[in-house]
Amino acid sequence: MRGRLAKAATRYALLATLALSYLFLYLPILHIGLAAFAKNANFPYPPRWTLDTFGRLFGNSLYQGAFLNSLMLGIGAGALSTLLAAAATLGLIRHAGRRTGLLLTLFVAPLFVAEVLVGIASLIFNGLFLELQGNLVSAILANAVHCFSYALLIMATQLYRYDWRLDDAAMVFGASPLRTFFEVTLPLIWPGLLGAFIVTFIMAFNNLEISFYLLGATPTLPSVAWGALRYGVKPELYALATAVNLVVVLGLGIMFVLMFTGKATFGHRPERERAV
Amino acid sequence: MTRRNFASRAAGPLLLGVPTLFLLALFVVPLASMVVLSFWRTENYHIVQDWNLGNYITLATGGPYVTFLIRSLVMATVVSVISIVIAWPVSYAIILYGGRYRLLFTLAFAVPFLTGEVLRVIALQGLLGPLGLINGVLMALGAAPLRFIMYTNIASAIGLVYLYLPIVVTVIYLSLLNFDARLIDAAKIFGASPLRAFFEVTWPLNLFGTLIGFALCFIPCLSATLAPRFLGGPNGTLYGMAMAQQFGESGTWALGAAMGVVLFLTSILAVLAIGMRVNLRRTGFTGFGRG
Repeated sequence: MRGRLAKAATRYALLATLALSYLFLYLPILHIGLAAFAKNANFPYPPRWTLDTFGRLFGNSLYQGAFLNSLMLGIGAGALSTLLAAAATLGLIRHAGRRTGLLLTLFVAPLFVAEVLVGIASLIFNGLFLELQGNLVSAILANAVHCFSYALLIMATQLYRYDWRLDDAAMVFGASPLRTFFEVTLPLIWPGLLGAFIVTFIMAFNNLEISFYLLGATPTLPSVAWGALRYGVKPELYALATAVNLVVVLGLGIMFVLMFTGKATFGHRPERERAV
Repeated sequence: MTRRNFASRAAGPLLLGVPTLFLLALFVVPLASMVVLSFWRTENYHIVQDWNLGNYITLATGGPYVTFLIRSLVMATVVSVISIVIAWPVSYAIILYGGRYRLLFTLAFAVPFLTGEVLRVIALQGLLGPLGLINGVLMALGAAPLRFIMYTNIASAIGLVYLYLPIVVTVIYLSLLNFDARLIDAAKIFGASPLRAFFEVTWPLNLFGTLIGFALCFIPCLSATLAPRFLGGPNGTLYGMAMAQQFGESGTWALGAAMGVVLFLTSILAVLAIGMRVNLRRTGFTGFGRG
């Protein structure tokens, strides 16, 4: 009897913590989301609906240019880091041998160096030793360093259960390594690649701490928002944050639906035992 | 036949070599150049290539910098511990009760993490600021606004927990996901109470994941620039924020580089100090790949 009571208490305590954490994370997001659509932006309870804030945001040419730059930064850094991380993951699992530990340490090292240090170090290297002005390309490269480790982790969690006997089978039947990759490996691992690209794209798109030091005079959405934030929070910033939040939710939603409906699973994945 | 042999022999060096070169050129070399610069000095916005320890002497003896560093260390430790205390029950609850929606619950934690620091700081100002939600509700109810959440170190700490809780949850969740729960059942069958099973089986076997979570929260908190600037008050300057100012307003790059080296070394030392205490085999770490 006491055991059952304790069990129920544990259950409710755990679920309550979970619910409170979601509340903590989403309350500010919902609040500014509401504020972005309300005339009384400071305290929108009850809200008087309006779309003016979004109109001003989308009509502002500064934000339009910044959006395009952010988009290029996200696509560039996302694609570069995903490709490199895919190569690194395949190499680590298949070809690294005794050097696995050393290489893995190098590959995940950017996770353990703060973003702002990556930004500052790249600024010093580019500005002082290469005498390059900051621009979009240098920002893409520096962001790709940080994104690379995240892409590697995402792909590693997806790939380490991949059944390499499939590749061996293809090769035994005479397929070249390249053909094996494009006809066997790639069709089975693309969800991992897509997931890594979506996550790294979003990270680079929204990054400030690295990009800030490398962009030179190129505005991106986070840098413009940072500039505006110094003069206090305005409803336009709420609208901007809300728009980005909606896009992120959409991106992760697509990923989730693909995984959940089984459109994106991995071939010959052994059923794992129940975890807890 | 020889071509095929060549292709399969070239695959390994190519797949591993290109990312290695990429990281060496764009990660290791820049960090090394930061170390070099920290031994030079800045004069009137110009770098003078004159090897000296002046920057480090300034950092060690200049009062505010030592204060900033201590404050940052305390802040990062407190925030990381709070995040882990929250993240454990959260990830445990997701694993236990998430069912087939576990992935959704975890992704829901990732949404705030992916929306970028600036936008989340904006959201936090909407929550904590003088015109924010909490004080708005209090004033609407006729109560006095809470002063301790407006531009104070407590506001910074709340902000940092908000910023880095998602990554700690994700890491601990992944650790628990790969943990074989039959071990708990085994412990209970042999007579351990649930509490004892937790502290002698679940906790030690997931210690590695927990410590990774701690490091991934501690390191960015130590070098936080945005949260203290926009949420912390006049007494809220942290080391990372002071470092960023060397590259902006004051233009003293060499001193900033030295601060960067201090932050980098402090982070590495913290990670090593944590790492030394962990016996990897005892934590169930099975290495990379075929687990």
